[in-house]
Amino acid sequence: MRHAFHFGGRGSRFVPYLLLLPGMLLYLLISLGPSLATVFYSFTDASGLIGSPTKFVGLSNYREFLFLGQNARDNAEVLVRTLEFSVLVTVIQTGLGLFVAALLNQRLAATNVFRTVFFMPVILGVTIVGLTWTLFLYPLGGPAQKVLALLGGHSEFLGGPPFQAFLWVTWVQIWANMGVTMIIFLGGLQTIPSELVEASRIDGASGWQSFRHITYPLLTPSLNTNLTLAIIGSLQAWQLLLVMKGVTNGTQVLGLIIYAIAFGRTVQNPTAVAMRQGYGAAASVVLFVLVLIIGMTAQFLMRRRERRVLG
Amino acid sequence: MKNGRFFVALVLLAALPLCLFAQGKVTLELLIHQNAPLVDYINAFNEKFQKQYPDITVDVSVVKSDELATSTQTRLTANDVDIIDMFGFAQGIQPYMKNADKPNWQTLIEAGLLMDLTGQPFLKYYDPAAIRDAGSFNGKVYEVNTGRYAFTGVFYNKDLFAKYGVKVPTTWGQLVAACDTFKKNGIAPMTAGGKDGWPVLVAGYGILLAEYPDQAALVKGLWNGTIKWNDARSLDMWKKMQVLARDMIEPGASGISFDAAPGRFASGAAAMYPAGSWDAPAIETANPKMNYGYFPMPGSDKAADNKYLAGKYDVGWIVAAKTEKKDAAMKWLAFFSKPENYQAYVNATGIMPTQPTAKLNTVLGREVAPHLANFRLGYELLWVNPKGFGQWAQPNASFFKPFNQWDDARKLADQAQADLDAGLNANR
Repeated sequence: MRHAFHFGGRGSRFVPYLLLLPGMLLYLLISLGPSLATVFYSFTDASGLIGSPTKFVGLSNYREFLFLGQNARDNAEVLVRTLEFSVLVTVIQTGLGLFVAALLNQRLAATNVFRTVFFMPVILGVTIVGLTWTLFLYPLGGPAQKVLALLGGHSEFLGGPPFQAFLWVTWVQIWANMGVTMIIFLGGLQTIPSELVEASRIDGASGWQSFRHITYPLLTPSLNTNLTLAIIGSLQAWQLLLVMKGVTNGTQVLGLIIYAIAFGRTVQNPTAVAMRQGYGAAASVVLFVLVLIIGMTAQFLMRRRERRVLG
Repeated sequence: MKNGRFFVALVLLAALPLCLFAQGKVTLELLIHQNAPLVDYINAFNEKFQKQYPDITVDVSVVKSDELATSTQTRLTANDVDIIDMFGFAQGIQPYMKNADKPNWQTLIEAGLLMDLTGQPFLKYYDPAAIRDAGSFNGKVYEVNTGRYAFTGVFYNKDLFAKYGVKVPTTWGQLVAACDTFKKNGIAPMTAGGKDGWPVLVAGYGILLAEYPDQAALVKGLWNGTIKWNDARSLDMWKKMQVLARDMIEPGASGISFDAAPGRFASGAAAMYPAGSWDAPAIETANPKMNYGYFPMPGSDKAADNKYLAGKYDVGWIVAAKTEKKDAAMKWLAFFSKPENYQAYVNATGIMPTQPTAKLNTVLGREVAPHLANFRLGYELLWVNPKGFGQWAQPNASFFKPFNQWDDARKLADQAQADLDAGLNANR
């Protein structure tokens, strides 16, 4: 007699697992599997070239990345810069996203047009965003330079001192991703019952007081989501730096030097070096540990706040 | 009826690849780097080749020159390329270099990804020394090198020089004076493709060459500690590189891409353009009436030190070892190497030929000819990094403001040496 896997049937408790299985297999194949392989390769001298002999080198890749000579000190500088990038992007992008969402949550004419305009950079993609801003910041007559010239100034923008170029790329990263932050906050704002805010106004609270004591606490879940996305995303971001600056001294972040090492592009030798994917894998693991520590710490603090605020 | 026609069209489209396969048509995948005259020539050459061999189609991919090595390695690994343009083999590990990474071409050979071309008939057209020096490893030939470029020279606008009474400078002092004259008359002394970084690095190589004409000895001296980046000679070099970056190259050059720089020079916006001789055809294309010349960068105060030109073996052809279209690839290389086609290539790209029968009958050829006897391989072709060395241990003019953060030559010199020592000491 055949068993019928229908709702309420004897075998039906296995159905959810069966339905989850394809997704889990896909995750193992394209996400967890390669991640574990990265850890494995970090202990080898793999170049990434098929046919190239690979041997186990123990911790020597980690020693080279973290402790060997000035290269290790340069990597530490890159690590600090990665953290600076992450803090700036997270704080400014979240603040700006919240501000714009709060504005667009008003009853304004053409709100949908504004929402579309603010979200547009998100769908353009890194290459278009990077190239567009590079043209905008062209120091020999781009729009930004023309405006600056009216004020009697001149700037090399992306070509100037590294920290200046770094700040410009940080700004573009924020500009390109602020739309997502805004949409998440907008969703959160629209779940807040308007009666609560109206009641506070009736009780004499100012707009800022209403926002601070009612709206902002109730936005905690949206805030936590945005902070998590911004922290993890900014720690791993490197594509925009590659498009706008390339692999140059003074502006790299950890993700960019991982790409440069793994695929044979380094600041030290701008012409050609061999790919070193074992060494790049070790650098990836370092980045993963960094993201894990910071991400989990941030998650812990945010959840604790969420419990305190929302009960 | 409409659906029927659509269905028939779909079937025909699906059958097309089979038809092509049945006729033995082959598509050769070719990868080259971005160099406008090279790209233009290869496109025109491929049309001619395809007429000669109608069963072979050539599909060309073009990447930026600083991405060529990465693309080469990844596409060879993926086995989706047949012929690749690779710069001449360089940066070979010398016996005195400890714990240095092998160059990428060596790792490709050892991985079995480059085809052994030893004994191919078309090699007979080339200078054996060029084949040996730029394309061989352990006695076998892996690259057909097509020529050399100089990169320590300076293009100059002869009309602007004549207009302001400036003579071709043969010493550093004369170059500084020439730049001052142009500035006073509202002309940018020099331009460069600063956006891509490496053009300013290359612009400074002439100063390095004037200070250290024996570049091989420089590399050895740096490795064994007898030459330092902060000794008196090197400090003189750094100071001159700072002047080049800060005072000679026009403001805003950091926004000019490598592709756009020849056109900017050809437009008359700048009097000089320190760059590799590969840019000559691009200048001529941008302004066919341009009256230009090329002189060695006078990095020394003594004219006798400024007679050298350094450069590199440039475009060479390698073949993927795992290609299934070996026959087609060999036909392409043989057709390219035919003297009449090779001469056309030389004329189009301005490359200094590695076929003895070819001549560089161009403006650039005439400008460079007096210095060819003093041609030598440049520092970057010989230098190999020790592991652990820091980011500033390179003789790079683009480290200075406005291109980067340094505005003190002495401090940069000390940092460069400290960064180099960190690598050398880590490996002792």
